Amino acid sequence: MQIRDYILRRLMVLPLLIIGTSIIVFVLTRVGGSPIGIYLSHEMGPEQVQQIRERFHLDDPLPVQYFYWAQGVLSGDFGWSGVSAAPVTAVFPSKLAATMELAIASGIVAVVLGIWMGTVAGARRNKWPDHVIRVVSIAGASLPLFWFAIVLLIVFWVHLGWFPIGRSDPVIFDSIAHPTGFYTIDALIALSPRAFWDAIWHLILPAIALGYGATAIVARMMRSSLVEELQEDYVEAARAKGLPERLVLKRHARRNALIPTVTVIGLTFGFLLQGTVVAEIIFRWPGLGRWMADAVLRGDQATIMAYVMFASILFLFVNLVVDVVYAYLDRRVVLGE
Amino acid sequence: MLTNLEEHDAIVRAPDVIASVRDLKIHFRGKRGMVHAVDGISFDIRDGETLGLVGETGCGKSVTARAFLRLVQTPPGVYAGGSITFRPRRVCDDCSGVGCRECDGTGRVAAHCPACGGKGCRTCGGTGEETVDLLSIPDAQMRALRGNRIAMIFQDPGKALNPGLTVRDQISEVFLQHRTAEILAAAGVSPNDVLLRRQASQKSRAFEKMLLAVPPLRSGRNRVDAALDTMVADALAQTQIPNPRKVMDRYPHELSGGMRQRVMIAQALACNPDLLIADEPTTALDVTVQARILELIRELQQRHKTAVLYISHDLSLVRRVCDRVMVMYAGRVAETATSQQLFRRPTHPYTRGLLGALPGRGAHRGRLAAIDGTVPELVDPPAACRFVGRCPDEVAACSRTDPPMVEIEPEHAAACFVHAPPGKAAATRPVRTP
Repeated sequence: MQIRDYILRRLMVLPLLIIGTSIIVFVLTRVGGSPIGIYLSHEMGPEQVQQIRERFHLDDPLPVQYFYWAQGVLSGDFGWSGVSAAPVTAVFPSKLAATMELAIASGIVAVVLGIWMGTVAGARRNKWPDHVIRVVSIAGASLPLFWFAIVLLIVFWVHLGWFPIGRSDPVIFDSIAHPTGFYTIDALIALSPRAFWDAIWHLILPAIALGYGATAIVARMMRSSLVEELQEDYVEAARAKGLPERLVLKRHARRNALIPTVTVIGLTFGFLLQGTVVAEIIFRWPGLGRWMADAVLRGDQATIMAYVMFASILFLFVNLVVDVVYAYLDRRVVLGE
Repeated sequence: MLTNLEEHDAIVRAPDVIASVRDLKIHFRGKRGMVHAVDGISFDIRDGETLGLVGETGCGKSVTARAFLRLVQTPPGVYAGGSITFRPRRVCDDCSGVGCRECDGTGRVAAHCPACGGKGCRTCGGTGEETVDLLSIPDAQMRALRGNRIAMIFQDPGKALNPGLTVRDQISEVFLQHRTAEILAAAGVSPNDVLLRRQASQKSRAFEKMLLAVPPLRSGRNRVDAALDTMVADALAQTQIPNPRKVMDRYPHELSGGMRQRVMIAQALACNPDLLIADEPTTALDVTVQARILELIRELQQRHKTAVLYISHDLSLVRRVCDRVMVMYAGRVAETATSQQLFRRPTHPYTRGLLGALPGRGAHRGRLAAIDGTVPELVDPPAACRFVGRCPDEVAACSRTDPPMVEIEPEHAAACFVHAPPGKAAATRPVRTP
């Protein structure tokens, strides 16, 4: 009940957030001048150019143009994507699915592996597993993604040939239906092990490249908060009750150590989303990030606007989830205060 | 262990001794050398008595207490020598723990020596009772004693209770670790039911919990949970918590300090331990609550005839609560006596200093007495009395050798060349020194 109220209250901020960010981004995309270039071609004469200007209301003042855009959005029309030469709404869902598949895969890698590494390191502080994990995670937090991704690409695709790039083998991809757009899930629905394996095989390299940095951050946070929790009196009290070390660690210390880690995981998701742009370009992943990069380079305003709207809404939801999980873990937190 | 027992024949002659510490040494590896936190102390805890352990901060009293549960972190701690022999009891067969004439109302009887089954042999020194050396038994055996035969109440209940678990979760853990058979019997579940037995001993893994949440198995799980709830509620009710069933669902932060300490006490006494270690149990509480908590510990102790090792730096509390007192200074025993003897005839200059520092009726307003100087560094200490430098009555011998414990009157001994000179009384028997 209380949690539901809190979620509703937080969601009420959503419209304001969307209006605010859309105005800012709309203005920013215009700093570089008119977006008309994306719609033009060499064969067009002056009349045709004028037609385009009228079609996209480019002669009106900027606030009026914004209202045209907003009106379109409210009726489900996000405009014409010059990069894809198609309406934004036609291209967006499949790109979104591709990006989310990659982000979620690397997010799962980061959370599961990061918490595990942090627990192992924190529980065996200053012993060799801790030292190994420290080196691995410092490397993860300091290697730039673009460099690490290219190294993976060169080693595992160019030289060893163990992993492919791109998102799928087109023949296998076309052999199954795509009701959700998530290749792995579609493969499971179609009961096609061949497609599922193809999906996983393509996911591995980009997910590792993208997830490594986040894993490192989560692991380091988990380690330090676990070390801190293990010093607490209640850990000694748990031992004094006769609990085996496994339960002292898992049931008592780790649970409380997760509290600060969850906050970091929430922030890491933004980091992941940002990383998809680089990872998608390097691994030729047909997702939002690469689409967005093209759009920015070519001044495709409709595409940029759609992406930013999506990103800000997603961020709000992730933060909401983090807050709710936080309140679940730390009983002293009262939501909404 | 065998040789230890032969050496320390005291335990055979005095069967009412529940635990006996001999020449215990606990050191800590520090940057500048070995810190001798506890440096060769010996004492006995008798069945059902309250032994006070007094001394200022850093004198080794908490470390001594933790050694009973082997909770000193190693490293940096090192158990450098000595032994702690302990005679665990078991639940009385005749009354199954309720208390009857057979067990003198305690609900516990001595556990049989595993080597001879109670007939008396060399291992148990002819008593037929099980004796274990807490410092040398395997970890699993130690864990079986923790919270079960030896329990501990911590100083600050706000920190010693896990903020993320309910009172029910925390108290039930004690039963889950030590009373699996009883839980299953109360729930009417066969002890051969593997899934439920694992649940009732906190061994279930995630997939087992999922299995137990599905209907055909769920009823069994619910019965075990209900039995456990009853046990937890009974434990809480013992500490006079009003409405135990409601308190069970609370988190520690929702309770007051006094209530938290009651929960802590309920948790410690849940399995009717033989020895309760109370590490300054009222220091973190309001003065008004302190008295009630002390009263509660005292009452529960008398009802169950539990031996209590009561650690405190507050002499006025110790006087009210304890049968006997042991004063520690810098890792050594300075003086042991009954409470009356200690306050009537304090012998060691350190004890006198402590008593003098108590603001009494005769003291002038605005002037508080203190012992000059601070506790010495315990890094590789020389063979000398530890109180040298702060002692008002110091003589040359004090800085040359360690004073041995010398009996002044029955039950009363002190380690001081000046006030308890060795060889003065014919009956003096130096207690073992290293």
